[in-house]
Amino acid sequence: MAVSPSSASTPVQTSSPSIANRLSRLVQPLLLLAPAGVWLLLLLVIPTLMILNISLIPGLRPGEIPGAYGLGNFLRIFDPINLRVMGRSLYFAIGTTIICLLLGFPVAYWIALLSPPRWRNLLLVAFVLPLWTSSLLRDYAWITILRPTGVLNSLLGAIGLPPQSLLNTGTAVIIGLSYSFLPYMVLILYASLEKLDRRLLEAAADLGANARQAFLKVTVPQTLPGIAAGSLLVFIISLGDFIAPELLGGASSMTIARLIYNQFLGATRNWGFGSALSMILILAVSLAIALLLKYGDRDIESY
Amino acid sequence: MNAPSRSPSSRRRFLQFSAAALSGVALANCRPQIADPGGNSGGSGSQNSLSIYSWSNYFDDELLSSFTAETGIRIVADVFDSNEAMLARVQAGGGAAYSIIYPSDYMVQQMIELDLLTELDKSRLEGLDRLLDQWQNPVYDPNNAHSVPTTWGTTGLVFSRSRLNPAPADWDFLWEQQSQLNGRLTLFNDVREVMGAVLKSLGFSYNSTDPAQIEAAYNRLRELKPAIASFTTDGWRDQIVTGDLLVAMGYSSDAIDLATEAPDIEYVIPASGSSLWTDTMVIPKTAPNPEGAYAWMNFLLKPENAARAVERLKFATPNQAAIDLLSPELRNNKNLFPPAEVLAKCEGIAPVGAATELYDRYWTQITSA
Repeated sequence: MAVSPSSASTPVQTSSPSIANRLSRLVQPLLLLAPAGVWLLLLLVIPTLMILNISLIPGLRPGEIPGAYGLGNFLRIFDPINLRVMGRSLYFAIGTTIICLLLGFPVAYWIALLSPPRWRNLLLVAFVLPLWTSSLLRDYAWITILRPTGVLNSLLGAIGLPPQSLLNTGTAVIIGLSYSFLPYMVLILYASLEKLDRRLLEAAADLGANARQAFLKVTVPQTLPGIAAGSLLVFIISLGDFIAPELLGGASSMTIARLIYNQFLGATRNWGFGSALSMILILAVSLAIALLLKYGDRDIESY
Repeated sequence: MNAPSRSPSSRRRFLQFSAAALSGVALANCRPQIADPGGNSGGSGSQNSLSIYSWSNYFDDELLSSFTAETGIRIVADVFDSNEAMLARVQAGGGAAYSIIYPSDYMVQQMIELDLLTELDKSRLEGLDRLLDQWQNPVYDPNNAHSVPTTWGTTGLVFSRSRLNPAPADWDFLWEQQSQLNGRLTLFNDVREVMGAVLKSLGFSYNSTDPAQIEAAYNRLRELKPAIASFTTDGWRDQIVTGDLLVAMGYSSDAIDLATEAPDIEYVIPASGSSLWTDTMVIPKTAPNPEGAYAWMNFLLKPENAARAVERLKFATPNQAAIDLLSPELRNNKNLFPPAEVLAKCEGIAPVGAATELYDRYWTQITSA
């Protein structure tokens, strides 16, 4: 008798925590994910759907009766004028990404592998420091440097070199963007380079690889996900930036971000077309992220 | 910035704007005091405070404190930097707190069409008859039925006298001296002002809706492109002082402000005419405190109050009685108060209806070429 209840109760006791376990296994993620989920739903998913909705009404303006649904806004994007604007935005974004990668990799490599370990955090902080100021301020600084009578030309003049007219050109925009977003690239590359398995480099050296071969065949493949992530981040944020093109780009500085701005806060107030442009931008960025998840993560798992 | 945003000096300059935003914060800090039970114990807090949505440089502490001293109403001010940004916020429902808004002329017309503004009860306003004739029955709001004009100015060319020879007198100067200006000219980042100026140079109206005229203006502007450093409404000030720029399209208020710091800087209203802009006070339909709004309008319609504000803030007033109170130096400043024959050639920017899309298309084309 004393045994049976206990033996009877034992499965009950074991089954009840297992139900509770299963329940908590269900509830826990819900509880953990709910705040972020609600946040995403209310502030990302629903607004994006609203933008999509607006983008499907050609020529929608606030305060006017919306017309019928249609694809007119999206068709308008293929107007050569608008394609050229998108082409320029892509040129700025790709140019910035390449410059950031070329400048950022050696810096991240040096900080992660060659600098004295106790200085590393300090060096990183120093590198990220420019991000603490407003991007507007940084671009204004570049105006001061690049304008015809600015700092750059005073320096060039002092050492007897011909003055450069960089302000109000595409080059100035890429300089401004690269300066602004380089720290992101360095941070991400640093995180990736820090995890580098140095034994593989030693093995490569033992097996007769010279420094260049070891770098190209061991270091670069291992940091490829970092390179992809950093490039993608820089690409995305420079695609959406309009402060640098606006302040540094001169008379031919129209970018997709500015075009969208003009549709909402400019004279035309064509929210429908602006939303369609926004959807294209969202789509391009999502596509880039999807590519990163597909190819970037697989490499990380293979370590 | 592409928006036809215009008006006096500082409000479009980023640094001053941020200063204004800070002062907006400072003003916003008045809120707890407004709700202070020490005030009107019976009334609701909203009767003791007046929320104003305005360009940044139409206030200073003195103006606000003298209003509060006179009426007991405290001001909570927010600033905008373009008419379109203001309209977008109001239409999105973010303007419900404001009892006074400061739209410019063409925006008043647009807001009337959108049914956003209260028709003013003229029996509650004193001193409208003191306005200059030109503002008694403005095109954008016949008989001032919805708005009270409060400041005005012109668009023109700003240049450095010592660096530029000959001095510009008309828009044509830009094309004639194109080789000299090569990359050292800025025009506004505002399609209507820029296209309007080119239209004027061709002898057409600033507000043309004729596609052929607009296209002719676009082609003429394209010719000028190599001379244009950039399209900026406010970014030219430092660079014209340093000599990086030779000529800039500018608002009279910006030019007057800059000329006080750099005496070499001059301003000219092009002979074939330019744009004449007016900023007004309106009461939105959603105004929580119309009583306070009328009190504010009456306060600024009083000649002595308007004159003191002009002396400190350097904008032109349409109030004849206030102009009479100004010092001769200000009153005779031709940039601040241009002669009637010059003003007669200027036009206010007016909505162009469906042609807006055409303007916008040419603008995208010119800024992406």
